[in-house]
Order: sequence, then C-alpha cells, then structure tokens
Amino acid sequence: MKKKKVPEIEGLKGEIQKGKGVDIGTMFVKCAVKEGDEIVFRSQRDAFFEVEHTDFTRKILDNSKVKYIIKDDKLYVVGDEALQFANMFNKETRRPLSKGVISPTEKEALPMIELLVKNVVGEPTYKGEVVYFSVPGEPLDAEFNIVYHIKMLEGFLKTLGYAPKAIHEGHAVVLSELAEEDFTGIGLSFGGGMVNACLSFMSVPIFKFSVAKAGDWIDQQVAMAVDETASRISSIKESSLDLSKEGALSKVESALSIYYNHLIEYTIENVKQEFTKAKRMPRMDKPISIILSGGTSLPKGFAHRFKHILDQLKLPVPVGSVRMATQPLRSVAKGALIAASADEGKK
Amino acid sequence: MLSGTETDILNSVVRLRQASRNQIRREIGFSLEYIGFVCRYLTRKGYLVFSDGYYSLAKEGIKTLLQDEDPKIDKKLIKQIADEVAKEISGELKKTVKGLKIPVREIRAPQGKKDEETREAVKIKTDFEFPIEDETSVLKSNIGKVGINTEKEKSDIESKVKLFRNIQNKGMKR
Repeated sequence: MKKKKVPEIEGLKGEIQKGKGVDIGTMFVKCAVKEGDEIVFRSQRDAFFEVEHTDFTRKILDNSKVKYIIKDDKLYVVGDEALQFANMFNKETRRPLSKGVISPTEKEALPMIELLVKNVVGEPTYKGEVVYFSVPGEPLDAEFNIVYHIKMLEGFLKTLGYAPKAIHEGHAVVLSELAEEDFTGIGLSFGGGMVNACLSFMSVPIFKFSVAKAGDWIDQQVAMAVDETASRISSIKESSLDLSKEGALSKVESALSIYYNHLIEYTIENVKQEFTKAKRMPRMDKPISIILSGGTSLPKGFAHRFKHILDQLKLPVPVGSVRMATQPLRSVAKGALIAASADEGKK
Repeated sequence: MLSGTETDILNSVVRLRQASRNQIRREIGFSLEYIGFVCRYLTRKGYLVFSDGYYSLAKEGIKTLLQDEDPKIDKKLIKQIADEVAKEISGELKKTVKGLKIPVREIRAPQGKKDEETREAVKIKTDFEFPIEDETSVLKSNIGKVGINTEKEKSDIESKVKLFRNIQNKGMKR
C-alpha cells in the first residue's frame, strides 16, 4: 500500500511520520517524532520560578531569550533558566509534577504542565494521531495512586486532538533498548520524582512498579545534610558529580555518593521483592539484561556503582548485561514512539 | 508440549473449576497482561474455554493433564480430587450401611486463603470521560517565540517497530 504523505509541522522539516512518544517526567517533558530518517526530540524542563512582574523584567527576559509564562499578574521564568534564577536567589524552583504525578500542592500545576505539554507535543498531524505518553507505575512506597494523573493527561491530549495511550516508563525503556533481546529484560528509569522498573518478557510486562525515592529525594536529603538548597544540589549533581571518584570528595560529593548508594540498593531490593511476589517467572533461556536510564543515572560511574551493588545483593535470576541506555534522557520518549509507530502501522 | 507456566495455569483452572484471569494471577503470580497472554493462547489451542469472563478446562486440557506417560496434573490436585471422590463414595455407603462410620478427611482451605479466594479484586469497568479545559488559553508566554530545545539523532527504530509489531501479532495469534 502506498504511504500517505503527511504535511510538515512547525519546527520540523521533511516528512513527519505518524505517531508520537512523550516522556512526561518530573524533570522534563520530552517528545519524540520521526522525521525522515531521523528522530527529533523536543524537550522542556518542567520547573518554574516566580520573578517580579514589571515591563522592564519582561523586556530583559525577551531580549535574553529566557522563556516565561504570565498568569494573571504573575511572571514565571520557565525551564533551565528557572533553576539558574532559583540558585541566584537561593530559593527552590516550583514544579508542576511531584513524585512523577501532577503536584497536589502546586496550585499552578495544571495550567503549567498543560502549556509545557502543548508546546513540546504540538498539533497532531491528523485528528486522532496516536500518542503514547509515559506514566509511572503504582508506587510501592507511597500513599497515592496515579489514576488522576493519567486521566488528566489523557483528557488534555484528547483535547489537543490526539488518541492518547499510556505506557509505563520502564516498559518504554525496554522497547527502546532491548530489541536485540526480543524485548526481554528489565528497564529501569531513574527519574527526578520516581524510579520506575519493568520486567518484560517478549515485550509483555511481567511486573512494573515505581518507588517514590529518586533524584529529588537525593537532592533533598543531601540539602538537609549539608545545609544547602535542593536546587543547588541538583545543579551540582547534574553538572559535575562523578561517582567513580574515590578520594578527595567534597562534603556535597560525599553526601551525594552516600545517597546514590542508598537509592541503588533500595531499587534493587524492591526489584528482588517483586520477583519474590511473582512466585514464578516465565522460563528465560538466557540471563536477562538490565537497562539503566533517566536523568538521575547520568553521573559518571553510575552503571559501575549499580553493577557493584547488584553483585552484592544478587537478583533471583541470572543477570547478563547491565548497561546504560544509549541515550539515557531519550529512551522513554523513544520507547513510547516505537509503541506509537507500531499502533499507527496497524491502522 | 506445554511449558511449566501453561501447565500451572491448567492446574489452577482445574482447582478453581472456573477461574477469572485475576484468580489465576493470584494462584500463579505474574502480571494480568501475561496471564491473559498465555490464557488466550491456551484457549486458541483448545486447552481452555472462555465464557462470561471465566476460563474452564476444555477437551485438550483434560487430555493433556491426564496423559498416562507423563501426567501433568499436580499431586496436590490429584489428592484433592481423590478426597472429593472418597467423600462422595462414603456418602453413598452411609446410605446403604447405616451406622458404619467411614473416616473422611475434610477438605478445608486455610482461613486466610479461603478469604483471599472469595475476595475478588474489584475491577473498574466504567470510564469517567470529561472534557478537559485547555487552561493554557489564559496564559501568555514567549515559549513559542524563543523556541523549544530540539535535538536529533539518526533513527534506528524501524526494525524495532517491526519486531515489536511481529511479537505482538504472534501473541494475538498464539
């Protein structure tokens, strides 16, 4: 059958193929679209910071190409610059998402996340275009569920003209990275608000869950330990943390290293418990691979640290390769795009 | 030749007489999706029948479980069935030989387990759809003007999409 040509959309050149994948995370919103023989990722950090609203401030922000949003009489700097502003004023950024879901305590959460999603995802190429959006698994260690979050995002994407479908973050990582293993293995996404884990067998999720300790938790714990703001710790973590460094660690580096260890061990123990709960596993002929992804997995030496702790704790199944995703910040959006493209192909 | 998990599912269905996906999941473990995946395959192959949300054993399933050379039915289940037969026979005997007591082991599930079996997880079947207001219409922003961060990479997803679709299709056909 001859493929229908789809028109170009704003910001993208060439033939846009149908189907989109969106990673809606606590730190970033990222959308993956296939354009010709390339994948285009459009992303936005989902953090904002209120600054004084005057014409003068607005002009300066416009001239310096700093993104902002105005609601009523309030002016909010959005994105990476929000983090810089927060550090400058020694305050915390505000976030529309908290622990992987729409923040219940942030009154501007809904319009903010809607605007960010709208900007990143854009208009559908046709009404009813399939978009897969990432969602966390049910949290094992927190008293909230994810239904409200999923329904609100699904409803908003429908309002934009899409046919939205939810995909678990860990499952998206498996689709993106484990094709050579027939989509069998464990996908771990170490995000800002949550760690998501999914064991998949032949592309079917066997178990999937989330834990509410992740990058933000590390920032908050370290901030309390060394009397700094969490935003500043987050900046240090993202810019210069090296987990393979063995000596001459600063106070912040030592605290980060301690809490990284804690987070990795906590995640592995929870994966082990899920294996136990599942009683029996499908027969897997080969040792399973584990993929590490997400912003919190970015510091140098993370995979090595993970392997070291895994060797000590051991999973109840043989483990083969433990490796970083090829692009740890893109794998969720890419996995969602694979699912969307497969769905579009069926139409 | 059935796999271990497939045989476990058949045994579980025999034990429960009729079983929903959820009940099988509770007995065997695994996710609902995976149990559904295997059950669909067993139904297609004639091992199970599916009606009104419940699976029960079909002809092929009975044949497989009772194969002489390699009986797949588990020992616990054989014992349970034998107990039930014994109870039935003893009932008949009691009628004919009044006063003669035949000891029969009572089949009683542990209290916790019994509760668990009867307590079916509530599955939400309705959907509450409502129009979500586009709250962004009241916001002013320069994001469109400044532009969104864009990165590109060479696509390697074609073969992955194809493989994913093939595996899914096989799952449906299995």
